[in-house]
Amino acid sequence: MSGDDHGHGHGDQSRFIKHHYDDAQHQFDSGKFGIWLFLAQEVLFFSALFVAYVLYRVHHPEIFSYAHKWLDVKMGAINTSVLIFSSLTAAWAVRAAQLKQPRLLIVCLATTIVCACAFLGVKYLEYSHKIHEHILFGRYFDPCVSPGGEELLTKNNECSGAKSTISWDPGTGKASEGCFDADKHDTDIKLFGIQADCQVFEQEPYKAPVLRGSATHDCTKTREVFASVEGSGGTYTFTGDCDTLIIKGDKNQVTIESVKHLTVDGAGNQVTVTKVDDAKASAVPADPKVKVDPKHPAPYVAASTITFAGPPVEGKYPPKLGPTAGEVKPDQGEKWRDKVEIKNQCPDELLMKLNAHQSESGASKEAEAAPKYPCWRPAYQPNVCPDQTTPEQHAHGAATKSQFGVLVEYNDKVERGDDVKIRAECKEAPAPKPLDAMATANKPAETDNQGIHPIHIASEHEEQEIESLGPPPEHTSMFLTIYFLMTGLHGLHVFVGILVFIWLLVRAVKGHFTPDYFGPVDFAALYWHIVDLIWIFLFPLLYLIH
Amino acid sequence: MATPATHDVIPENLKNLPQGPVTEPDFLHVTRGFKSWAFTLDHKRIGMMYLFGILFSLLLGGTFALLLRTELWAPGKTIVGPDTYNQFFTLHGSVMVFLVIIPGIPAALGNIIMPIQLGAPDVAFPRLNLSSFYLWISGATLLILTIPFGGLDTGWTLYTPYSLETHSAVMVATLGVFLLGFSSIFTGLNFLVTIHKFRPQGMGWFQLPLNIWALYGTAVMQVLATPVLGITVLLLTVERFGHIGIFDPAMGGDPVLFQHFFWFYSHPAVYIMIIPGMGVISELISTYARKPIFGYRFVAYSSLSLALLSFLVWGHHMFVSGQSRLANMVFSALTFTVGIPSAIKVFNWVATLYKGDIRLKTGMLYALSFLLLFTIGGLTGLFLGILSVDVHLHDTYFVVAHFHYVMMGSTLVAFLGALHHWWPKFTGKMYNETLGRWCAIGVFVGFNTTFLPQFVMGARGMPRRYWDYDPQYQTFHQISTIGAFILGISLLITVCYLVASFWTGEKAPRNPWGGSTLEWQAPTPPTLYNFETPPVLHEIYNYDDLVEVSPDRWERIIPTDADGAVVPPKAHH
Repeated sequence: MSGDDHGHGHGDQSRFIKHHYDDAQHQFDSGKFGIWLFLAQEVLFFSALFVAYVLYRVHHPEIFSYAHKWLDVKMGAINTSVLIFSSLTAAWAVRAAQLKQPRLLIVCLATTIVCACAFLGVKYLEYSHKIHEHILFGRYFDPCVSPGGEELLTKNNECSGAKSTISWDPGTGKASEGCFDADKHDTDIKLFGIQADCQVFEQEPYKAPVLRGSATHDCTKTREVFASVEGSGGTYTFTGDCDTLIIKGDKNQVTIESVKHLTVDGAGNQVTVTKVDDAKASAVPADPKVKVDPKHPAPYVAASTITFAGPPVEGKYPPKLGPTAGEVKPDQGEKWRDKVEIKNQCPDELLMKLNAHQSESGASKEAEAAPKYPCWRPAYQPNVCPDQTTPEQHAHGAATKSQFGVLVEYNDKVERGDDVKIRAECKEAPAPKPLDAMATANKPAETDNQGIHPIHIASEHEEQEIESLGPPPEHTSMFLTIYFLMTGLHGLHVFVGILVFIWLLVRAVKGHFTPDYFGPVDFAALYWHIVDLIWIFLFPLLYLIH
Repeated sequence: MATPATHDVIPENLKNLPQGPVTEPDFLHVTRGFKSWAFTLDHKRIGMMYLFGILFSLLLGGTFALLLRTELWAPGKTIVGPDTYNQFFTLHGSVMVFLVIIPGIPAALGNIIMPIQLGAPDVAFPRLNLSSFYLWISGATLLILTIPFGGLDTGWTLYTPYSLETHSAVMVATLGVFLLGFSSIFTGLNFLVTIHKFRPQGMGWFQLPLNIWALYGTAVMQVLATPVLGITVLLLTVERFGHIGIFDPAMGGDPVLFQHFFWFYSHPAVYIMIIPGMGVISELISTYARKPIFGYRFVAYSSLSLALLSFLVWGHHMFVSGQSRLANMVFSALTFTVGIPSAIKVFNWVATLYKGDIRLKTGMLYALSFLLLFTIGGLTGLFLGILSVDVHLHDTYFVVAHFHYVMMGSTLVAFLGALHHWWPKFTGKMYNETLGRWCAIGVFVGFNTTFLPQFVMGARGMPRRYWDYDPQYQTFHQISTIGAFILGISLLITVCYLVASFWTGEKAPRNPWGGSTLEWQAPTPPTLYNFETPPVLHEIYNYDDLVEVSPDRWERIIPTDADGAVVPPKAHH
């Protein structure tokens, strides 16, 4: 501090030599010793993270070998060389300061700053990609793709391409949407394919059209299965197979080719259904407002007439009327309809990818024969749902947990928002096998036996490859926790380094540094070297695991 | 009592060389106003600000101690419910450990005394020193802010997984501890550089006062252990804030890893607390027994070896935390080795007392208390180091009593002794010696009354940190509570008469106790840069040429050679 000017000055020495030091050398030596202690402190500060790294890697090698493939070695290598180069320029800056080369000093300091910024820029790219793909730590770990580029299911359905889950609930015997087996999944490729026998559809929303005045509407062409008529006194024609129609207005002339669910709510409507072959129309809602046509013993809306023009099919009359207007409010919200059936062909597709990976030529034929997407397969979703396996199923050993889970997985690269639902119609879950039956089934069985599809017995190398294609092993988020902690703390040090070097640059421009007084440059360069050194450890430990 | 002594009344035959009248203003009066303190770079002023912060924290932590002792007067609810009780012992522990004992001797008294003992004008990095202080203030503020932000009920150890689940203000506390940690690191770094680079010419490593050896060992630990605490509480903060899972078994994390990290710091921290106390005791015993310290080199080396061994024994806090059997045995064996340097120190102090010209000043009373209390604390530590015994005694009042004997009975007593020893030097005022002696006795009696029954209780199975207890323990708890109040009242009176001495105390001479180290050559209070003229180096702990010219006033006689000619002093600067 300039205010602390003390009696004994330091002669012709730099004005930055503080009064309580004997001379410039004393100040420099003290600073140097201080910065070395600080660096020792830094090493200890980082050491806890290295200890955590060693501990978790020893205990869970599989998550490290799986998850490190998410890291881009190219990016890491670029950063390594950028940092090493900046260490060189930092060291050169010290030399420039010692030799009284102010211009070189400024150039070196500026280069160091630019390199440090480049490092953080690359880090930004890496981080933002991981944030986008939910390849994050702890609770936020919800990856959209596996390290092998395979689309994965996410908890929140936030990623393009990866969608909802269906589970077979053994309690109710029905498929339900959303959750399946929680904590364990079977990473063994041989057991892929165990699943409940389901038919799975992707659904899409649509808004029911509301018709007024007079209109002709083709249900088949627009694939709209739901519509309502709200106008009065108009003439409407519905062609094609309609799913649900609601007529709210009064005194309309409505001609319908075919309909599954019909609600007539208004008064004085004349409704004619020309094709009455709805096989699914069986139940008749007991709605007092609906009056029955004399020809057909079904209820009808008061003051409306519904004529069934087509030939009656025995036992199929009348078409199901309803839902009633109170139950369906087409103008208020969305309705879902099946868009496309999703084939269960994913296990083969996984194998196909593997084969294509191994030999480009040999796999091409199989790849051409590969099923079209989308498809679905049993899979794993981390930490979402409780275990639904019953103790009996455990005891029989047949009920592997993935049995109750199917992952619906798209690979058609179509961006989907939140407006996609999955619907499943499932048959019974496979019955648990008795133990002796299991013993025979454990031989490499090729048959489709009670839902088990043993698709491939993978070699060790293949398993590793498949591993990176498949869903993550348990607690994979720990790798990312460590990755983000280590690189984050390191990045913070780089950021602080940038601030320090900017401060040095300002002082260098002002010409503060002389051969007598260059301590700050030297100390900052030492700090920069340790930051570099830590990265040189981090790069192989995180990016180059094999 | 000391007669009013002025510097110009010096007997003719004892005319002293560098101790003439002081012309420069002392550091307390060289500048005035709030800013002159808030932005001071003077190590003494920074040390004094620390000191008053620490005394305030001591009163705060002591209040919590008395509150929780009152609560334990009877089984069941006495004054507060169990949740509040949890907050009481947590805040008592956190405040006492992080705000009082760790910075007590190094940051406060060390800051004031260490550079003067070295004959240096200041510490190596005065601005770093000031920023350490502000880090301390910020950390302390955050730690105290936990009270309005929902309290803290994790215990000072902040063990996971509870510290991840509790709704109390853990993040505020961990951020506070993080700042306090870096305050400690920077102080240690500063001291290491100062001791290395600011020793005067002619003061080799083995001419250093033992206090400085102790501060050196402490600083090594502060620089090497505290960063691990820093990263640990940082991880805990991030874990609570960002759910990263590193300590959360549900996400594959390991809660015991937290214990390892925590004790990797906090065991050395126990020595960060005790070693400066040992350094002070070496100074006090030598000075008040008028004898050179017995086995100087061994005492010096034992400080360093304690510092090194302290890094190897953290696992003895975790014998029942699921460590492997091998780790338990290794840690247990290493724990016993700590007894060796500790015993070396105690034996050397006792040997120093032997045939000494003992003066029972307040400082000496505290030093003697230290000897007794540290011996009890150290020996009971060996009980706990035995694996089988530890399983029985773990988390009982036996442990509580043991570490209070070390942390309070030793460190705080040494702090009080040091405070009384150097108080006249840096305030320029003599405190009330009679009150001082009575309070020293009060602290000793109160302390033992508080904690001796806890050994018995603990051995009989009373678990620590419990709000309620079986009636069979009530007598012990009541004795303990009475002792705590004796202790509390003694400490309160101590703080009062010390502060009162600013107004009522007599002016202190340069050397009231006949100390031989360099700080007693500095003016009282020291000037801004500590010495008007470079101090003269004498043989360390040689009291032969120091003479008490009047009560509480010592002067050094002129050294002469065989012919009676004055030997010119060696200036170092």
